[in-house]
Parts: sequence; structure tokens; C-alpha cells
Amino acid sequence: MEPYLDGELDASISATVREHLASCPSCEEPQRRLIALRAGIRSQAPYFRAPARLSAQIGTALRGADRQAFTPWRWVAIAASLLLAVSLAWNVTSLVTRSSRAGLFAQNIISSHIHSLMGTHLLDIPSSDRHTVKPWFNGKLDFSPEVRDFATEGFPLLGGRLDYIDGHPAAALVYQRRQHVINVFTWPSSSTSGETELSANGYHAVYWSSSGMTYWAVSDLRAGELRQFVNLYNPTSPPK
Amino acid sequence: MFEQIFLPHLDAAYNLAHWLTRNEHDAEDIVQEAYLRAFRYFDSFRGTDGKAWLLAVVRNTCLTWRSREYGMAKIPFDEEVHHDSANLPTTGSQLATEGNLASLRDCMESLPAEFRGVLVMRELEELPYKDIAEVTGLPIGTVMSRLSRARQRLQDCVAGRTKGASQ
Repeated sequence: MEPYLDGELDASISATVREHLASCPSCEEPQRRLIALRAGIRSQAPYFRAPARLSAQIGTALRGADRQAFTPWRWVAIAASLLLAVSLAWNVTSLVTRSSRAGLFAQNIISSHIHSLMGTHLLDIPSSDRHTVKPWFNGKLDFSPEVRDFATEGFPLLGGRLDYIDGHPAAALVYQRRQHVINVFTWPSSSTSGETELSANGYHAVYWSSSGMTYWAVSDLRAGELRQFVNLYNPTSPPK
Repeated sequence: MFEQIFLPHLDAAYNLAHWLTRNEHDAEDIVQEAYLRAFRYFDSFRGTDGKAWLLAVVRNTCLTWRSREYGMAKIPFDEEVHHDSANLPTTGSQLATEGNLASLRDCMESLPAEFRGVLVMRELEELPYKDIAEVTGLPIGTVMSRLSRARQRLQDCVAGRTKGASQ
């Protein structure tokens, strides 16, 4: 009888049981008591919901674990071998650029990206809440970066970091896509190096500007997927 | 990604931990530790819905907490022996003093943890038998008999009879 009342029996057996129960006088009392007990539990036994702060506490704890989990064996190993490859390759014409200034810039911004992945310094402010990350930059930078979150589109915000790009302070907004990290570097400027996309050694960097701010998204994500992310940030960018 | 899969089950995790530990502070600590453990073992997770997997981690974390609390090695639950812990409260008859029938909630809290657990999973969390089997690591047949006995014990307690919890 219990599996029947728990909805665990398949349709044909369930029908058989139901018929039996309908015509079985001695089954009536136990069935009634069980139904009453279950109703009693549902109405009188509380369902305890997690306190509001617990979610944030767990998020913070996971970031802490994240650094330890990722840093020792995944990122250090990967980054160390990549740094070697990068340092060997910088002199090789694998950069998709037309000028040496753009080349230097690419080197700079991609190095900053790689550097952020090493050690424990990916995030100064680990928080998925853009209302926490944005004000964190107040007083640390003389501009306030626009912080977006695309968790529902699969690019969740991990947090923010202070960085230094091309001779000036920049905000780095950090996103994740599966196991890939995306750094969005931003600072006030409407001028560009002339390139809107750069690549070097498996890393891609995509540029856009908006409201007097320069943005560079850098990641080892496939170029197409990185552009997909950029389109979320900057819906007017032309499809390539 | 880990949080997307598992954070939606935060309430379920907290509810189970709260019922198993019977206090909110331990429940919070357990849930936090469970999420960290789940994160560390994330590589071994297969599937798309993490609820049963996460609740299994929560339940195991509670078992470790319990054995730590009472300074004992992990005790396998013996259905025939009602012994739980020295701190376990009151029997149904004790609860039903002064002519008041024991409240259903008091009775649930007085059940041994393993009975309490399956009741919470079935009645509050509405998990099917197979998910309860996954959370507890028990065969489905054992889940069914444990659930049936839990309901009987609860019934007895609420009705004011002596069979509530351990002595």
C-alpha cells in the first residue's frame, strides 16, 4: 500500500492496487491513517530554508577553495608550460598584427591575462554580485567600471581585480566559461591601437569601446565563443 | 559549472542538515562543509541534476559530524538496536505528558536520525525511492522498509504510545 500512496508503482500495478483498496474494508483504516500522517508531516514539520547569507558564504568559501584547487595543479602546470611557449614564440611572427606597437600591446594584455591566472591573484574582490564588485573599485580607480553579469547566458561573473595595462590602471572584470577564464580589462579611453582583435598562442583578445571606455576581453576560449561573450556586453558589435 | 548545478539545491541541503542535526548553527556548518566536499569531488559527479548527489554528501557530512560530536567511530545503523546517542531525547510517552499528545514535530525530532532522514527525504523533499536510495547508499528494498518503519514509529509517537525513540 505504501508504494502505491507514494506514487512509486507503475500504472498497471497501481490500478490493480487502487481497485483492491476500494473494495477492501480492512484496508480502509490503515490507508486513512497513513494519508493523515503524511498530511500531518507536510503541514506541521517545517521545511527549513537556508538563511540568506549562506549562499554568499558558500560562494566565498568556494572561491577560496578554487584558488587552492586550481592553482597548485591545474593553472600552475598549464601556465608554466604556456609561459615557456609564449616566451619562445614572442619573437616568431605568430601575432596577427600589422604594427610593432600593436604587437607590443598584444604582448602586454595577453601577458596580463596569463599572469592573473597564476598564483592566487585572479580576484581582488571575489563576488558574483555586480552590486558588490562595482562599488569595490571606488577610491581605488578614478573611474567606475560598468559591471555586468551573464550567469544566465553561461558566463558568470567571478569578481574583479585591479590591473595595469599599457601604462595606466585598469579594472579587470573576471568571468568564467566552463574551465576558461575571461578577463575584461577596461579603462577610460576612446582611442584604440587600431586593432579590434588580436591572437597569440591560443589566446584571443577582442576590443570594443562604449561610452568613452575601452574594453578588451581576453581568454583562451575559442575566438567564436569569445565573440559571443563580447556580443552580450556590446550588442551592437558587428558579427564577424 | 559547479555553482550552477549545485546552488539551486541549497535549501534542500540546509533542510536535510537541519533535520539531521536539529540545530541551525550545525546545519549551516554542515552545509558549508558539504559544498566544499562536493566541489572537491566534483570530478566524480556524472549526470545533470545534482540534488541526490549533493544530499548524499550532506548526509555523509552529518554522519561524520555526529561521530565527531559523540566521540565514537562511525556507527552503522542497526535496525534492530534502537541505540542512537546519549543526547537523544525523549520517548513518545515522555513527550506526551500531562495529557498532551506529543506534537508531530517533536515526534519527528525524537526519531533516530536514520528514520528521521528518510521521512524528511520522502515527505518534505518528495524524493522518489530511487533518489533516497542514492542519497543513503541503500538498496531500494531497505529504503522502503525503513520508510515504513519510520512512519509506524512516528504514528506511535503521535498517538502517545511509548515507542518513540531510544532509551
